[in-house]
Amino acid sequence: MRLKGLVFAIVLLGLAMAQTQVTFWTSSTNPIDLAALKNIVAGFNKTNPKIAVKLVQVTGSETDAAKLMTAVAGGTGPDVYMLDRFTIAERAAAGLLEDLSQYKAESLALNYLPYAWAETQFGGKTYGLPFDTDARVLYYRKDMLRAAGVDPNTLDPSKGVPTIKTIQDIAAKINKADSSGAYTQLGFIPWFNQGWHYTWGWAFGGKFYDAKACKVTPTDPGVVAGFQFLYDWAKNLGPQKVQTFISTYAPPNYPPAQDPFVTGKLAMVVTGDWFLQTMKEYAPNVDYGITYIPTPDAKKTTWAGGWSMVIPKGAKQAAAAWEFLKYIAGAPGQRVYTKESAHLPTWRALLNDNSLYDTRHLFFKNLLPSANSRPPLPVGALYWDELTSAMNKVTLNQAEPKAALEEVANRVNAQLQQFCK
Amino acid sequence: MRTVESKQAGLERRQPGPRKSQRNQGLWISRIILIVASILYVTPIYWMITTAVKSPTELAVFPPTLIPGEWHWENFARSVEFIPFGRYLINTLIITFFSVVGSVISNLIVAYGFSRIQWRGRDLIFGLVVATIFVPFPVTVVPLFVIFAKLGWINTFLPLIVPTFFANPFYVFLLRQFLMQIPFEISESAKVDGASEWQVLWYLILPLARPAIAVVAIFAAIAAWNDFFGPLIYLQDESKYTLSIGLQMFRSTHQVQWSLMMAASTLVVLPVIVIFLAFQRSFIEGITLGSIK
Amino acid sequence: MTRRERYNLLIGLLFISPWIIGFLAFLVYPIVSSAYLSFTRFSGFGAAQWIGWGNYTRMAGDALFWKSLYNTAYYTLLAVPIGVVVAIVLAVAMNQRLREIPIYRAALYLPSVLPIYALSFIFIWLLNPRYGLINLVLRWLGLPPIDWLGDPAWAKFSIVLLAQLGAGQYALIFLASIRGIPQTLYDAAEIDGASQWHKFRFVTLPLITPVILYDVVIGLGLGLQVFAPSYIITSGGPVNSTLFYVYYLYNNAFRYSQVGYASALSWVLFLLSVVLAYGIFRWSRRWVNYEVGT
Repeated sequence: MRLKGLVFAIVLLGLAMAQTQVTFWTSSTNPIDLAALKNIVAGFNKTNPKIAVKLVQVTGSETDAAKLMTAVAGGTGPDVYMLDRFTIAERAAAGLLEDLSQYKAESLALNYLPYAWAETQFGGKTYGLPFDTDARVLYYRKDMLRAAGVDPNTLDPSKGVPTIKTIQDIAAKINKADSSGAYTQLGFIPWFNQGWHYTWGWAFGGKFYDAKACKVTPTDPGVVAGFQFLYDWAKNLGPQKVQTFISTYAPPNYPPAQDPFVTGKLAMVVTGDWFLQTMKEYAPNVDYGITYIPTPDAKKTTWAGGWSMVIPKGAKQAAAAWEFLKYIAGAPGQRVYTKESAHLPTWRALLNDNSLYDTRHLFFKNLLPSANSRPPLPVGALYWDELTSAMNKVTLNQAEPKAALEEVANRVNAQLQQFCK
Repeated sequence: MRTVESKQAGLERRQPGPRKSQRNQGLWISRIILIVASILYVTPIYWMITTAVKSPTELAVFPPTLIPGEWHWENFARSVEFIPFGRYLINTLIITFFSVVGSVISNLIVAYGFSRIQWRGRDLIFGLVVATIFVPFPVTVVPLFVIFAKLGWINTFLPLIVPTFFANPFYVFLLRQFLMQIPFEISESAKVDGASEWQVLWYLILPLARPAIAVVAIFAAIAAWNDFFGPLIYLQDESKYTLSIGLQMFRSTHQVQWSLMMAASTLVVLPVIVIFLAFQRSFIEGITLGSIK
Repeated sequence: MTRRERYNLLIGLLFISPWIIGFLAFLVYPIVSSAYLSFTRFSGFGAAQWIGWGNYTRMAGDALFWKSLYNTAYYTLLAVPIGVVVAIVLAVAMNQRLREIPIYRAALYLPSVLPIYALSFIFIWLLNPRYGLINLVLRWLGLPPIDWLGDPAWAKFSIVLLAQLGAGQYALIFLASIRGIPQTLYDAAEIDGASQWHKFRFVTLPLITPVILYDVVIGLGLGLQVFAPSYIITSGGPVNSTLFYVYYLYNNAFRYSQVGYASALSWVLFLLSVVLAYGIFRWSRRWVNYEVGT
């Protein structure tokens, strides 16, 4: 009797010891996304009895991973981390990430959207597996267009990509100001929300990086043209007046419910697929449509970001973590995530399964194959910040596009140099 | 025991007629200034509480309503369910309690050493203490983490509590400024009577420095209660998180759970207000130097 | 050294020993390591590469270093004196002999206890160009509205205003100091026929100078290291007008993986601060009065 109990205890102990504990950190705080991640972890733990993955919610924004960096430096980091894919090159260059080539990660390359895969590469090695993705389009409020005497059908995606000229004409009809001249309603602010430097640089056919020369190219004619477009748009409306409109209706950290598009202060906006959820939640009755980002030559353009799964340096259970990586970033994990959280997958096979998307989301999904993505650079965050600062100067008309972008080139290339061969 | 109020009453009785009305006029002026200033300073809290009870549709109203149309008190309940509020509250209370104890004890003793005892090199070392105030925090984050990691303290409350027992330059400096002002004759005569430094600190200085000690206690409590960066870095297990980290969970990449975040913030702030109201009395009741003389 | 001096030295060191231990355990290593790293190229992981004075010479040509230094100096120069005055005014107000004074006292202190995130969000609303309380007052006075956070010319000053919401914290120190002033001094002044202002100017003010010194030095430290408002509210914008030094330093360390450069930036700020603080201490000998009753 006693012996039996002892044997039983030993067997139990053995089982527990055979089970490898894998810690998985995510900085996601969205309840829907978190629930989906938990389901994926549960699914993995069920099919892999030898590994127990534990999901831990940590805070930290996309490019500021102070918590991860200190933890890895102190040797107490997690085994798996959900990292903004665009920062992989930077973190890999800093030595924060485990090289996945040792697991033959390259063999999985063809399963992923090419731009997403490209973002996981640094110095010819793989440092992560792509997870979800997103895309940016133009949202427009049909009710505001109608009120201004514009037929919303002009912007229907079936009519193709709207030109910059079309948007300018529509916007001009919607703009309203009060007696003091302060805007109370605007048609479109190109640099608002997801209208970034990259958005317009690409819309105007620009290139941001020259891999051969190992140089960033913010002074590329296309990028300069995009910035000139922003400059002129601001000048036309009065740069400080637009800024005041933004400070009024979309001050820093404004709650999503008070987004000027939601509240009907702004008729058109460039933003991503996640905004469908915002509209559903805060403006369920607003009549709006989505179409392509306007370009000067009516060519389709969008850009995509998204997250990835990485193994930080010093992970204690790297091999088991890799098993989990293949699962969560592979078909099983991405299927659950796409279905439950309405994010877009990077796993190509899932793009063919239309049952995973509703009608509006289908529009985003179909844009993915032609999506641009930010160049995976070891100075990616610096480049982003410098471009943002330049855009800021240009939209306030405090600097000419060319001069502002030249400064970006100088500052970023000076830091990029050390990584060039 | 003479209280300030009775002194005040005594003074008033001595005032002849015209002086009294002048004084009353002065009181009304300060009252008006105080009311205006208070309104200005209370707006943030008012705004926080009213936002907390608004519905998502009302949040989308522009400009925001000053008085909520509907009061959704259930937002408080929802915010408590959104994060493990009770668990985080207990963790925060533990850390805050020990931080206050550690801060009061260590800083008082160290400040005493820097103000009430004459020793060679004292002011030089005090200069070093003040200098440490100016070390920019970002560069110390990683090496400090490595120290705590070597000690095996990561994912415990120790990195948040233990350092408070080893004095903090802000509080040492503060207490020193107060202790320097206490007349030296008081402690000298006690020492002549055979009291040790320890006894002087305990029986003479401590009661006299009560208002300043209350300030340190309040500061330490609020600093620990609202500390965000320390817990963020050192705690790695959700069961050990604090309320200030919990508040971060209402923010996600493209969304903020606005009402819930404000509801949770209100709940987080309430105990601090209670602590303050409790401690502020020590300013009134604290024995002033005047009554010693 | 006499026996008495030796004894005092021993006792003195004994009393400050908690600080010495804490300093040796938790501060010496970070300070020394950052001094070393400031001469290297270091990403935060792996090996640091010695580059001599490279990081320091780079600073000279870094426009954002100068910009952030300027912003920080501008902010500190405004925030410290304004902060001292506001804190003293609040403290005097909190010390009024009114029956309902605990209510005012709590009201004035309240914003100081708010989590910085909540306070920042609310502050942004107070500064809204169209609907914010501040601009409503301006309009009422017949002044033009100001885009507080969106106009590069005003953004820094807005951060100074934000700091004043937390002035209750410092007012509390002044209040504690004022409560410690012997009533007999006021009584004596009263007999001499002193007005309220005279009592403040010649009794209160001289006796709170030790706390003013404290407030100025701490204000200098906090001002030169202002970080949270840029991090939470402005991200350094508009047009880098709120790119403060420590925010730039933080970005270098944690966003750009340039820990070596960040360490050099820290040392420059640290040395600058210490020189300024030393100057303030020297200067304070002329006006700080530790003696009660003179």
